[in-house]
Amino acid sequence: MKNKPFPKNAEVVIIGAGISGCSIAYNLAKQGQKNIIVLEREYITSGATGRCGAGVRQQWATKANCILAKKSVEFFENAQEILDYDGDIEFKQEGYLVIASNQTEAAQFEKNVKLQNSLGIPSRVLTKEEALEIVPHLNVDVVHSATFCKTDGHLNPFTMTDAYYKAAKRLGVEFYTYTTVTGIERDETKVTAVHTDKGTVKTAVVVNAAGGWAKEVGSMVDVEIPVYSENHEILVTEPVEKMQGPMVISFSQNIYCQQTPHGAFIMGRGDKNMPKGHDVSSSWKFLDEMSKTVTRLLPPIGELRVIRQWGGLYNMSPDHQPIIGGTKQLKGFYMACGFSGHGFMLAPMTGLLLSELILGKEPTLPMEDMALERFDGKEIRELETSVV
Amino acid sequence: MRIKEHPILTFEAKEEIQFYYNGERIVGYRGDTIASALHAAGVKKLSESIHQQRPRGFYCAIGNCASCNMEVNGVPNVRTCITPLEANMDVRQQVGKGRVR
Repeated sequence: MKNKPFPKNAEVVIIGAGISGCSIAYNLAKQGQKNIIVLEREYITSGATGRCGAGVRQQWATKANCILAKKSVEFFENAQEILDYDGDIEFKQEGYLVIASNQTEAAQFEKNVKLQNSLGIPSRVLTKEEALEIVPHLNVDVVHSATFCKTDGHLNPFTMTDAYYKAAKRLGVEFYTYTTVTGIERDETKVTAVHTDKGTVKTAVVVNAAGGWAKEVGSMVDVEIPVYSENHEILVTEPVEKMQGPMVISFSQNIYCQQTPHGAFIMGRGDKNMPKGHDVSSSWKFLDEMSKTVTRLLPPIGELRVIRQWGGLYNMSPDHQPIIGGTKQLKGFYMACGFSGHGFMLAPMTGLLLSELILGKEPTLPMEDMALERFDGKEIRELETSVV
Repeated sequence: MRIKEHPILTFEAKEEIQFYYNGERIVGYRGDTIASALHAAGVKKLSESIHQQRPRGFYCAIGNCASCNMEVNGVPNVRTCITPLEANMDVRQQVGKGRVR
């Protein structure tokens, strides 16, 4: 098959075809923006999107994350129809059970639930007996109490991104995969062009949706983005008949674990000593620790065979909340990065908000809390602690 | 079906082992795997494909292909081709992807 020629001009160039890049492209095109191209170094979902646990959670500790997640869930509930998708996004909306291991954690979660409820998120505090009714194979000996939100859930990250990709393509967006951005040209005040290994495209608008490589894309135009990447590992088991409805997650025990509609369990945990960088390799240490952790909290799952393990990049911001917006430093340069491990679930709002900003409209939500400039010489106001 | 005569190898008589297949008593021999005992007893269908329920039988014989996955003593997805036969094992064809108890 002959490759389509690389364009000389574009009105918007999006770097990265993960869920964020695809959602931004779709939202821009939907609102009438023409001549959008998306550049992807490998294939659609080859970065963090295709490697993530794909949970969708509204139970956060900060207001900004709660609102973004709630509005994103509202989109996911109708995404199949809105995007007119012929596949299945596999949205399984059976909740998130957040485990509190001790009194301190339980107290924090009670505060979180109050915040969540005040924003219209239907989460609630459960005793461990109530938690056991929802997940009967829970080991209550290591559970103090829990919180539960029934409208949380998870999706298939591949088909969900495909849904955005196909909808964007129908609206005229062009995607260039296996195309590496090698540099971005700018003058004193604005971006002017993007260089790739396939050619150079002139543009006035560049969107940095490069996930784990967002900092490096920023440095191409001398915009310092205070993020770093780190490897988070994950594994998948053989499939069995359905036995677990909700995602089970514990920050103190360092685990998230869900059963996909296919029947396989997907689980992951973080590693405090993981060096910063772009390594996404798998380790025996993760396999060992993950097995012990899941066997302790959800004993019968220890019986299942592991099929495969892999790693993916969290792009961490100083307050563990995303950076979505432009920058005063450079006209025409926008970014959606620093999602700190939850970029997938926020993608509907990422795309909507950033497209509104780029098109000069009033954003649906105030975006000061998401701006790059919030870090300028200031103390971190509100740190999101609910991260595995 | 068992090979009884062979130009080079000899097969000494081994201890009989009784076990259960879908509740029915079957005899195997010490040194059998579950799947080899079933195969010798004429049981050719070990599992069913997940989506279309087509029959699946003895295939890779090295524990890789999942064709012989069965429920053994209540544990699903046991690779019967590499699991040694033991007395009174309760071996059953499993339903779907198997239930963890």
